[in-house]
Amino acid sequence: MDMLNNPVQEENLDNLFERADFDELESERIAAPRYSYWKSVWKTFFKNKFTVGVAVLLLLIIGFALIQPLHSGYSPVLTPNINNASMKFLKPSAEHIFGTDHVGNEVFDAVWAGARNSIIISFVCTALNMLIGIPIGALWGFSKKMDKWMIEVYNIISNVPFLLLAMILSYVLGAGMRSLIITMTCTEWIFVAYFIRTQVMIIRDREYNMASKCLGTKTWTMILKNILPYLISVIMTYVSRQIPSLISYEVFLSYMGLGLGTTNASLGRTISLYTSYMNGYPHLFWIPVGVLALISISLYIVGQKLADAADPRTHI
Amino acid sequence: MISILIIMLIVFTMVYTMVPRENIFFEDSTYRKLGGKSDDKTEYVYSTWQKLGYLDYVRINDYCLTLYEAGSEDMVRAVSPDSQESQDFVALYTSKGYTVDKYLQSGRYYAYKDIPVINRMLSWLGSLIKIDTPWSVQDPDNPDLERKLYFGRTPTGGVALMGSGTTHKYLLYTDSHFPFIHQNIIKLNFGTSYPTYQGLDVISVLFQTQGTEVKRHVVFETGYEADSGINFGSLRYKPVLDRMDKKKFTDHYAAYDVRKNQPSMIGTSFIMGIFALMMAYLIGLPMGVLMARRKDKLADKLGMIYIIFIIAVPSLAYIYVFRYIGTTVFNLPSVFTTYGPEDIRSWILPIISLALPSIASLMLWTRRYVVDQMNSDYVKFAKSKGLNQREIFGRHIFKNAIIPIAQGIPASLAGCITGAIITESIYSVGGMGKMLPNAINQYNNVMIVALAFIFSSVSVLSVLAGDIVLTKVDPRISLSEKAGRS
Repeated sequence: MDMLNNPVQEENLDNLFERADFDELESERIAAPRYSYWKSVWKTFFKNKFTVGVAVLLLLIIGFALIQPLHSGYSPVLTPNINNASMKFLKPSAEHIFGTDHVGNEVFDAVWAGARNSIIISFVCTALNMLIGIPIGALWGFSKKMDKWMIEVYNIISNVPFLLLAMILSYVLGAGMRSLIITMTCTEWIFVAYFIRTQVMIIRDREYNMASKCLGTKTWTMILKNILPYLISVIMTYVSRQIPSLISYEVFLSYMGLGLGTTNASLGRTISLYTSYMNGYPHLFWIPVGVLALISISLYIVGQKLADAADPRTHI
Repeated sequence: MISILIIMLIVFTMVYTMVPRENIFFEDSTYRKLGGKSDDKTEYVYSTWQKLGYLDYVRINDYCLTLYEAGSEDMVRAVSPDSQESQDFVALYTSKGYTVDKYLQSGRYYAYKDIPVINRMLSWLGSLIKIDTPWSVQDPDNPDLERKLYFGRTPTGGVALMGSGTTHKYLLYTDSHFPFIHQNIIKLNFGTSYPTYQGLDVISVLFQTQGTEVKRHVVFETGYEADSGINFGSLRYKPVLDRMDKKKFTDHYAAYDVRKNQPSMIGTSFIMGIFALMMAYLIGLPMGVLMARRKDKLADKLGMIYIIFIIAVPSLAYIYVFRYIGTTVFNLPSVFTTYGPEDIRSWILPIISLALPSIASLMLWTRRYVVDQMNSDYVKFAKSKGLNQREIFGRHIFKNAIIPIAQGIPASLAGCITGAIITESIYSVGGMGKMLPNAINQYNNVMIVALAFIFSSVSVLSVLAGDIVLTKVDPRISLSEKAGRS
């Protein structure tokens, strides 16, 4: 109290303060550290060394599967060594990395050509399913009126025998990649939509969405800005399960003789063809199965880890 | 209900308009025997299509029979291509919208008209349920047939409600075979199978026992003794009796099924499914709880590896891997048919293979639900009350975690009926799962339609049953309230 009343020290007191003018630019700056969603996703993803290892392995496998068949020109119809008994059923060696099969073809080429088709089909189908399923599912979850009808549509589409559809499409369009892709999208999207619908319903009535609605936000804006970002990690989890399951479908259909047809390489047909040699020449069976398992598992793991990383709660 | 109808309409359209109708003859041996371009072949093709309901088929002969007596001179003259009647026939049926064509050899006329899919479906639905009454049999050669219902005994000693004038002799009867009380009054009629299992009802293809006849010593009602596998309960009306029939039976009920030594297709699938289901729940549930209790420890990690393996690896691949282990290490048969269904060894591998994926998904979901419950307030409260772990898990957590799992039980039960396509194909089990792919590959359209109907109604009903189970397990949930939420 003494100090303040002392007139001598008034001068010094003035010097203690600095004049602070209003700075428009400075007021816009946020003190908290900058947060970028996608940067954080990648940062979290690359933190785990095991995940990065699997991702690199996966990229190598996919790259190899996409490029190798172009180089080898393998086709199941061509059997140049069919009359050469010395070329059949060779064990894996430096010259024939995966050995040779019952018609003298390289198993190595057959496996990668099949893997290429499986990977392409599963990726294209997943992308299509998501593109169709997510918007429909989001709307479905939002509108109660639509829900009543869509549940019936879901009941119908999910009960049409899948094999029958596959066969009929292969009639109408001819067996091949196109008919297979259509088969696997024209019923699968409804499951994606159903899944998204349930997720949307769960967060539809949260307070922040209610508030947004009261403020007059349009439905689509709400879906795009409020809900879908929230669902990224859930969708990612779904995708990481869908890709292996579609590979499994392709393999199954080819095994039933309804898949890619005899002119296209396919892992499923390769496996079902080689099964009969399982006891005599086990490498013929185990190598395609192993490659198939490797692709599926690494796809699944990378997908799961990406989904984990996409969850903002892991970014802290 | 409406959704089942729409599914059937889609299936009908797909099967009967999109599959080329010529394809149904691929598997037909009679068709193959008929030579190149004979009239017999045309006749066979069109009458088969008519029988299967593709089209309405009229021959000039049928038309002339309405005008003249069979075999008369007028008749012979009228059926020839250039007669006045033939011209009338062409004019009449063209005006009705039929397509008129000529037989290649004789040059006679015939006409056909496609039946719309909608009409076919309606007539299929109309004849779906058959009720056996004393007026079911209409046999012009047997006008004095008595029409009555009465009580009696079966030759094997059971009590029975019997009928005369009915299709079946024993309408309701008891015997020593599961399910002990049988009825023949209401039957589902899916039509006759074609081209595989020709002449058999679809229902009996699916439900009749397979394998070889089980013969035992039987005394027939005439006193005639023989070794036969006859199932007396299945006695049906037979219009024309042969010598053996007359030796065995005193009345017209002489058509019967025989008992065979292997379970029916639906039975095989069901046995396999039930055991796999039991195994899945007995292993999957405790494992899921264990994983949740030891979260992030070794047991949890091992379980996770198993789940990832099953989810990520295509089922075809892991079933083969598993079969390889089973056959080499445990010396079990690699296919079902090696020892047949009488030997328990045949069942082990298929059942375990079928259970593998269910175990994985049960483990995954049980773990998820239990972990969710473990973090809830009431569990913390129970802990602070001083309850021990066993009590908390058994009484509190499990009761709540089981609710969503219980909802899936009816659906898994229904899955037992529809069979497992991959498992049954790999182990060559004679069950339902193989039926649909086989029917599709062999163009057995009647069978496809019947299976689609069975499968879709079973699955729609099981969803309904699942909701009911949900309300039984959790009294807080009521179905009427459920409409607004997910």
